[in-house]
Amino acid sequence: MKVANLLKNANWQLILAAPVAAGILHICATLAAPYLTAASAYSRLAPGLTVNNMQLLSAAAPAAEPLPFMSPDARYAMCRFDTSGGPVTVSATLPPDLGWTLTVVTPQGDNIYATASVPARPTPVSLVLVPSEEAFLGVTPEARGIARDIQPPTPVSATRGIVVVRGPDKGYSYQRHVEAVLKEARCTARSF
Amino acid sequence: MLSHSALAPVHLGLHRLHKRVLMAVGILGDWATFIGAVLILGLGTSWYMIDVGTRLTTEKHGPWVGWTSAGRADADPYTRAHFARLGTLQLTTEIALTFVALTDSDGNRLHSSCDYAVEGREPGNHWWSLTVFNDRGDLIANAAQRYTYTSESIALRPDGTFAVTLAREASPGNWLPTGGAGRLALMFTTFDAATTMLGKSADETKQLPVIRRVQCR
Repeated sequence: MKVANLLKNANWQLILAAPVAAGILHICATLAAPYLTAASAYSRLAPGLTVNNMQLLSAAAPAAEPLPFMSPDARYAMCRFDTSGGPVTVSATLPPDLGWTLTVVTPQGDNIYATASVPARPTPVSLVLVPSEEAFLGVTPEARGIARDIQPPTPVSATRGIVVVRGPDKGYSYQRHVEAVLKEARCTARSF
Repeated sequence: MLSHSALAPVHLGLHRLHKRVLMAVGILGDWATFIGAVLILGLGTSWYMIDVGTRLTTEKHGPWVGWTSAGRADADPYTRAHFARLGTLQLTTEIALTFVALTDSDGNRLHSSCDYAVEGREPGNHWWSLTVFNDRGDLIANAAQRYTYTSESIALRPDGTFAVTLAREASPGNWLPTGGAGRLALMFTTFDAATTMLGKSADETKQLPVIRRVQCR
């Protein structure tokens, strides 16, 4: 009898609207979450990195980790890029060894470009970061009737973000070698 | 003194007011329940999907949890939100797979008051690493300055298997100090590119180490 009364007096409009409203709130909260956090990887790293310049980070150590869950299993060189003033060229050569990577990461954490080393041969990487795919990058040598003697850089469309070159830590004996390879990585702004 | 007939309109007015107040309380109660239910359902499910994950977004192998589209440009919103909140810089899962364990293989929370044996087999010809953190993702300070083992620094057994001891006190073999960190998190990263390229069975890389509790103090 009580249950019947409860069902009779229930506000069915609100009961049916609740899951719909909860679903909308769920979607909004999930989509907004990355933008509401004040501690994303980009916002933590950006203040310590100069724009359009590759920097070798010191090895992760207790109380000196730039990010949470950043393992000292690798050394890092990073470049915070901003293509609003013109394209940014990135170049590095990953040694013929396992565990080396070069990634271009957006402020939201997406790897918009990623490549890993292979054991058989060195992996040269040459990128040009441009604000949009339509950006004019100058007349190509081919358009001027000149044959290229080098591989053209791969264009990657990105406005802001971080280029990360990662070298696996192989112990003290290899520390200098890993650092030397990371220091060789370049990140340079050029005008339109 | 007022007569009975003179009090009747006052009683009637009070009765009507009482009814209206009850009705307002009922409506307010309905709306409060509605808003509460929407907040709990909407925010609760969002938090669960972002913080814990489900089969849609994560791979679970024993105590190890990995987000299947971490770092990818086509990552789902839950994965994006998870790593944005965590504040980590993820390598795309097209190159490397990262798994985190917060419990041992029996489901008990990892804690520095216990010693653990992490045992596994080298995952093929891939670079891999095993690192211990506290549950906030900080490295644990120790005199030996030892925080991680990689495929290049670990001492393997003759049969290709390995064992790493997580303990406060120094231990022979591969030892990762846990100090007085409290709750622990173990991170296992493996570079999976060769497997993807050669189209080998996906299960080959999913033989993740077993985390066995040895003793607690």
